[in-house]
Amino acid sequence: MNLSFFDQFTSPCLLGIPLILISLLFPALLLPSPDNRWITNRLSTLQSWFLHLVTKQLMMPLNKKGHKWALILTSLMTFLLMINLLGLLPYTFTPTTQLSMNMALALPLWLATLLTGMRNQPSISLGHLLPEGTPTPLIPALILIETTSLLIRPLALGVRLTANLTAGHLLIQLISTASIALLPTIPTVSILTTTILLLLTLLEVAVAMIQAYVFVLLLSLYLQENI
Amino acid sequence: MLSRLVLRAAPAALRSLPPPVAVGVLHTTRPLHTTQQSLAPLPPLPEKGGEVRYGLIPEEFFQFLYPKTGVTGPYMLGTGLLLYFLSKEIYVINHETVAAACILSVFIYGVKKYGSDVAAFADKLNEEKVAKALDVKNEAIKGLETAIEQEKKEQWRVEGRSYLFDAKRNNIAMLLETNYRERLLMVYNEVKKRLDYQVAMQNLKRQKEQDHMIQWVEKNVVQSITPQQVLAFLSLLYVLVYTNICCPVILARC
Repeated sequence: MNLSFFDQFTSPCLLGIPLILISLLFPALLLPSPDNRWITNRLSTLQSWFLHLVTKQLMMPLNKKGHKWALILTSLMTFLLMINLLGLLPYTFTPTTQLSMNMALALPLWLATLLTGMRNQPSISLGHLLPEGTPTPLIPALILIETTSLLIRPLALGVRLTANLTAGHLLIQLISTASIALLPTIPTVSILTTTILLLLTLLEVAVAMIQAYVFVLLLSLYLQENI
Repeated sequence: MLSRLVLRAAPAALRSLPPPVAVGVLHTTRPLHTTQQSLAPLPPLPEKGGEVRYGLIPEEFFQFLYPKTGVTGPYMLGTGLLLYFLSKEIYVINHETVAAACILSVFIYGVKKYGSDVAAFADKLNEEKVAKALDVKNEAIKGLETAIEQEKKEQWRVEGRSYLFDAKRNNIAMLLETNYRERLLMVYNEVKKRLDYQVAMQNLKRQKEQDHMIQWVEKNVVQSITPQQVLAFLSLLYVLVYTNICCPVILARC
């Protein structure tokens, strides 16, 4: 099958049936469901330990009201982590490379934090628009700047994730194409390129994990300001 | 009606499945409120997972092919399949192949290097959990053993109670005896004082009488000395002195 560079980003379809739902739900099947036991097998133990760690880290800066968001934030983190990591395998489709999907995750959650803040503590929420200790003449300009920065947050969240993953995948494709194309002519350069590809793969694994964490961390930060 | 028979027979049939599957399936097929609720104790987890070669292919596959094709059978099958896919271009070598090689090498390296550490960490987490529970049990056992020892000590002390009472009894007897003797002594002293007084009184009286009598006799004797007797005594004394018969004797005596 001859692939162009952007075939990996097309939403998968089989005989006209969109497979996007399967690709979104499949990663969750790989995680063991907690068994009805006290001492579980190694995978379940590690999973529980990891979820415990993540939840604790995310919820520590939040007050008690913010702990209601524990489930959605932790499950979002696990979801993004699994999707990103599985997308590094060959011939896989990564849903988080689609801007539509990331905006669909970022915008509602950001809006939820904003509305929570505006509804429950409007003056504190609006007070975040002006940093402390600004000189008086600068206030109008700063308010405008902070409002812009506030409104651009969902866009930034979505696009950050999309861009990082898309760029990473594209780079992998390009460099592997280069290394395959150079193999018959200059094998040495091809081997060098393969080394670069190895390093890039390591980077991509790190980026996959970091991007998932950053997405959720920023959402929890926005929540901290507003709850 | 047949469905009811199937439903009744299903749990028994499903119990014959391997335990993890049976537990999961029983959850879904147990008829509501008709069978007894015993899913405990859960069957224990197997010690090791299924044997796997090269991380992918179960050992049972190799055992399955062994009678017909020997040891190299599965490898020949694998190689043949791979070459078939490559030669017929069912699997095309493109850039994804290189990317696949890279990610798989990274993954296999990670598993080989850190796999045992991660497994040990997971085992440690479980061990800590069990150790905490065991600690509770051991603490309780220790507490109870200490209580038993203390109880035994108390029982030993109770045995010594009779000695304690004997000692106390002796002590009290001694105190009473001492008190009695003290009082006896006091009585004796008092009586002696009284008797001494009487004796002293009598002695004093006799002494006084004697003194009085001596004085009276002396007074009467002195009174009865007439001047003629005095003169006669003095002239005799003068004669004796001047004659020097008994001068030294008298002088010595004087």
